[in-house]
Amino acid sequence: MEKIKNISGITRFSFIELFGPILIITAASCLIGFSSASLMLTVQFALCYFVMVLALQVFVGNSGVLSFGHGAFAMLGAFVSGLLTAPVRIKNNALSMTDLLQSIADIQVNLYLSLLIAAIVGGVVAGITGVFLMRLNGLAAGIATFALLGVAYNFFFNNTKFGPGSQALPGVPKFQNLFIPLLLALVALVLVYLLNVSSIGRTLRATREDNLAAPALGINIIRVRRIAFAFSGALAGLAGAMYSHVAGTVQVQDYYLGFTFLTLSMLVIGGSGSIWGALVGTLLVISVGQVLLMMEQGKAIFGLSIDLPNGARAIFIAATLVVALLWRSSGVTNGKEFAFPNFKKKSN
Amino acid sequence: MVQAILDAISLGGTYALAALGLGLVFGVMRLVNFAHAELITISAYILVVTNDLPLIVSFIIAAVVTALLAVAMELLIYRRLRGTGPAIMLIASFGLSVLLQRVYELIFGALPKSAAIAPWMSGEVKVAGASVTISSIATVVITVVILLIAGYLIERTSLGLQLRAAAIDFKTARLLGVRSNRLIAAAFAISGVLAAIVGFIVVVENPQVSPMYGVNITILALVGIVIGGISSLRGSALGGFMVGVILSLLNTFLGNARVYAYSWLFLLVLIILLVRPGGIMSKANEMERV
Amino acid sequence: MSLLEVKDLYSGYGKVEVLFGVSFKIEPGKSLGIVGPNGVGKSTLLKTIVGEISPKSGSISLNGIDVLGKGPEDIVRLGLCLVPEGRQIFGGLSVTENLQLGLTGRKDKSTSKKALDKVKEIFPVLTSHAKHQAGMLSGGQQQQLAIARALIADPKILLLDEPSLGLSPTVIKDVFDQLKSIISNGTSVVIVEQRAHLVTSFADETLIMRNGKIQARITPEDAKDELKLKHAYFGSDN
Repeated sequence: MEKIKNISGITRFSFIELFGPILIITAASCLIGFSSASLMLTVQFALCYFVMVLALQVFVGNSGVLSFGHGAFAMLGAFVSGLLTAPVRIKNNALSMTDLLQSIADIQVNLYLSLLIAAIVGGVVAGITGVFLMRLNGLAAGIATFALLGVAYNFFFNNTKFGPGSQALPGVPKFQNLFIPLLLALVALVLVYLLNVSSIGRTLRATREDNLAAPALGINIIRVRRIAFAFSGALAGLAGAMYSHVAGTVQVQDYYLGFTFLTLSMLVIGGSGSIWGALVGTLLVISVGQVLLMMEQGKAIFGLSIDLPNGARAIFIAATLVVALLWRSSGVTNGKEFAFPNFKKKSN
Repeated sequence: MVQAILDAISLGGTYALAALGLGLVFGVMRLVNFAHAELITISAYILVVTNDLPLIVSFIIAAVVTALLAVAMELLIYRRLRGTGPAIMLIASFGLSVLLQRVYELIFGALPKSAAIAPWMSGEVKVAGASVTISSIATVVITVVILLIAGYLIERTSLGLQLRAAAIDFKTARLLGVRSNRLIAAAFAISGVLAAIVGFIVVVENPQVSPMYGVNITILALVGIVIGGISSLRGSALGGFMVGVILSLLNTFLGNARVYAYSWLFLLVLIILLVRPGGIMSKANEMERV
Repeated sequence: MSLLEVKDLYSGYGKVEVLFGVSFKIEPGKSLGIVGPNGVGKSTLLKTIVGEISPKSGSISLNGIDVLGKGPEDIVRLGLCLVPEGRQIFGGLSVTENLQLGLTGRKDKSTSKKALDKVKEIFPVLTSHAKHQAGMLSGGQQQQLAIARALIADPKILLLDEPSLGLSPTVIKDVFDQLKSIISNGTSVVIVEQRAHLVTSFADETLIMRNGKIQARITPEDAKDELKLKHAYFGSDN
């Protein structure tokens, strides 16, 4: 396996590759988050997205197998954690939840425990579906995972026994401060990094879809992909749960096509081959989106006020994705991990 | 009962046309064009905004613009991504789809635009003792005629032969002189015209056009081509037709649980992909080549 | 001016170089063999000539026209046709449809009908199986269909990659007899073969390739000298 050339991304544990991103996330979160109340919320959302993009990186980025299904695991995580933590009084009285199962309405657990449960549920469901899905490749995998997302959306949108259906679930407790989501994101980052440098991560990258003919898939590769899929499903569950505790609500539409598109865009724009790519992509899309949002709202940025029509932000993000793919399909970071800028001449 | 059967056939026919459009493009370049939805949407928008013109003029404008947009997609984006692999192409088409939705939102607004298109079609006539809407009969007639024309084009003309050959083995087709760029552009143009026709059919029934108008039907058509077999045009069209009929049946027989009809369809897709990756029409695991 | 002239061709896949300065010419109505063991770059040479891969350097001209940078579909129209390795007929399409596909690369469409008839005359077996799926034909019949399909574009020069692959000796003889009549009609033929003996006695000239270069050029006269042939084929260190 090791002999296959052009394995993108990391192969060996490196202090810089892990602590560079940790430093950047912590610094950026604190600096931007504490500058205003609205930016604090933006940073918290960004951290949720980052965990989701990490989840995608671990599986999609490493294995090269496309998944639209992670939105389903995030949706599941959000519903699990939202329903477990919303106050019993609200669940029993809200108009949108008259059909809710009594056992769900009467349960309430601690926020941290519910986050853990959400991750476990995401992981278990991904593990079970992965047993079947990981036999598929390329387009078949893309469509099958899309179908998974479709089932999850259709179920939660219409079902009022296990959630509010198409309505919003009110009263989901919010994170009390920035440090909880920040810490969760850092934990996710470390876990993903450790998996990427493990033999599982190396095998995944060595057998990336674009390197290998589909029929040559061995049992071992399928097994490794299943493990990675379950792990990334758990992370997606966590990301969805985190999102519900930043938004203070759960709404099924938040985890459907728009969410899937946005997080996949972040991964692809940054470069799907590395966690550094995941970070750069998330940072880029969020910050450009934020600047454009402020322009849409007519706010001045660095003393400069440019008026943009509503909707320009969404167009820009979608256009950026398409242009990024045309320009370099391996993303801004070209699949490389974090390194200090090297000013010396390249010696190849 | 007569109405229910007609509805099932017309829905099936509509999805068959959408699936055929997707299948044509897939055949020549192994691309699932999510942005096919936006082709259907633009056709519907144009029909709504040009509703003051005679219907035929309005439709011709819609067909031309939709075909041009389809060809533009190929020239500006997909052509440059050839050879990057199916995953990148799929993400790109997903991105393009969202991009166009947002552009439509900017141009036409987020709220639905509507107009009474061909109002005479909502009238009713008696067929075999039962009264049925004119639009359902018209839809059946239109889809049957278009499918016959498409069938002739694909099975009997040189262009159709080239499309079929390219879908099997593009490299060898080029060795024989099949011009890849032209053929792919032609596939996109035909797929655009088919999308315009689908847009017309659906906008008569539901004239509330919003930016995501075509998404639902495209996803269902995609379900159809997976069921029928993605690498054969006949399979694609048949699969699309089956999805329409199954959906009609589920809507009729599931009662209150009809809201879960999509879940059942998607589960069917998952099972078929796992058991027969090449679709129910295939002999072997043709999907492997993809 | 030669019909096909390849000059100092360097080519390969990505960073992997396969051909290192290959040059040869072929005149109208002549035949040329290219032989050598597996992996010496014969197929790469053909793929470069037909425009499937672009060379690193060198030139290829067809009837004096520079064809570098042109795709396979354009090169067919200039009168060069390849019968690919493994035949690559469309098994799911009928024999007639396969032949009709060959018409795509034809310049003069007004005489298409005539061309179809002429090809069927050379390969009578195709007439009796016209409506059958091409995949149902035997190996030899498939090879004949592949040659017929290329011939129908009215090429000035026909390239064949391993035409003997998987065929029995009697069928091989039939195929080579048909090639002989094609040459006598004025079409030049280039045959790439692993099995040298099939070509050396047949072609007007045979190039022996080794390690991406042309090792030797031999005539049917030389081919009689078996020792010399072996030397050229396997290298003098053998």
